[in-house]
Amino acid sequence: MLSRRTRIVLAVLVVASLTFVILDLRGGQGPFASVRTVAANVLGGLERVAATVFSPITGAGGWWSDMRDQAAQIDTLQEENSRLQSDLQTLTGDKARADALDALLRVSSVGKYRFVPAEVIAVGPAQDFSWTITIDAGRNDGIEQDMTVINGDGLVGRVLKTTASTSTVVLIVDSSSAVGGRVATTEEIGIVAGTGRQDSLEFQLLDPMADVRKGDALVTFGSKGGRPYAPGLPIGEVVDVSGAPGQLTRVATVRPFADVSQLSVVGVVTRPPREDPRDSVLPKSSALAVTPSPAPLGAAADQATPSPSGAPEQETAATPAPTKKKKASTTETAATPVPETGN
Amino acid sequence: MVWRQALIIGALVLGAVIAEVTVLSRLGLPGATPDLVVVTIVAIALAMGPTQGAVAGFLGGVLIDLAPPGDTLLGVNAIVYIAIGYITGSVVDPRDRTVPIMMGIVGLAAGAAVLATSGIDTMLGSDRVSWEDVPGLVLSSALYAVIMAPVVILLVAWLVRRATPEVSVT
Repeated sequence: MLSRRTRIVLAVLVVASLTFVILDLRGGQGPFASVRTVAANVLGGLERVAATVFSPITGAGGWWSDMRDQAAQIDTLQEENSRLQSDLQTLTGDKARADALDALLRVSSVGKYRFVPAEVIAVGPAQDFSWTITIDAGRNDGIEQDMTVINGDGLVGRVLKTTASTSTVVLIVDSSSAVGGRVATTEEIGIVAGTGRQDSLEFQLLDPMADVRKGDALVTFGSKGGRPYAPGLPIGEVVDVSGAPGQLTRVATVRPFADVSQLSVVGVVTRPPREDPRDSVLPKSSALAVTPSPAPLGAAADQATPSPSGAPEQETAATPAPTKKKKASTTETAATPVPETGN
Repeated sequence: MVWRQALIIGALVLGAVIAEVTVLSRLGLPGATPDLVVVTIVAIALAMGPTQGAVAGFLGGVLIDLAPPGDTLLGVNAIVYIAIGYITGSVVDPRDRTVPIMMGIVGLAAGAAVLATSGIDTMLGSDRVSWEDVPGLVLSSALYAVIMAPVVILLVAWLVRRATPEVSVT
């Protein structure tokens, strides 16, 4: 049934694929690794070009999630509208809010992270179950392996590998990712592991007696030399705790501050701060968790900073913001960082 | 003549891979990423034949694994896509290539691709695959493939006819 030529072609292709699988399963370096590097360089270059050409299309990306969020958005806007109307009548209320916002912005620059801004140019297919992205900055821009990647909302991931002009970033939600985390208020430490789902992380506490509550904010614990994770970066907010204190396995579900499915501009931390900023990069939110502020903060503040968890009126803050607003908050009010190459 | 065929297969598959990771996966659609690579492979197999389909499958599988940010085991996609290219190229009778049948075949192929790669990855000891998500991914991938099918199949068939007049499967 098969012609001789077809048989030979099929056999060669299948044997080649199996060889790839076996070599790749063994891992490590060798001639095979350099083939991968060369291919990544060439294809990465093509992706850069394609990302530029297709930017009008991808710029319109996110329309689906926008549409999905519209109902919630209408509710939020109506709520905000009535709030604004009452605020208009009390100018002093406005003034207080502006002051609160200013304070938030001042505190958020405390982190003093040096970073290289970069744009996302490619995303891995969802059916591969791997949460990785490609950004348009590489070794030529000073990016090295294991550098921390952030955006205006918090920790995004770390650099997995680099080529001359692009880098592959593994996101914190990838199931292979594990980040040392610390509860901002209680200093309890643990490991924040990715679950493979875009909106949840797993926080395993090292101390089973530790007191972790819904609404607690997590920051990175930091690694030696700031790699792969710089200290003090906001990771996410505890949304659920399973197991009672003292139980052997206590796991908290954490929602990351950064919405990894809607990334556009990210920053690669090239130099972490000299000192661990502790949780000062999470301005107010930890303080608020202890003593909730009487007046709800404005929508703008909600966008710029991680949600000061707990208070019910702040719930909307953590839902993904529309892409455009997100971009604005990334570039203008970027929580943490002081741009290195910016000006 | 073989070179001409190889060239057009390479160009089509490379274009599909680049478009998939830079555009389709960034649209943020629910479920799976629209698998343009599988659709292109099936389109090539239908237009040129099973051997060419298998070659396209191999190329597509290797390229999608190598293209950044690919981080999966190299070769798994290639094995699955070779099978898809070969089978779709040989099973379908040239006489009943109506558009609905071709759309159905592409949908089946895309769903089977997700299922097969997830299965092989799990068998090889990867703990990435979350099986409760697989049914949704299979269905959404098949649906997107069916939507893309008519355009891609007609476009590829037209290109193949123009570039390599000696191939006449249809």
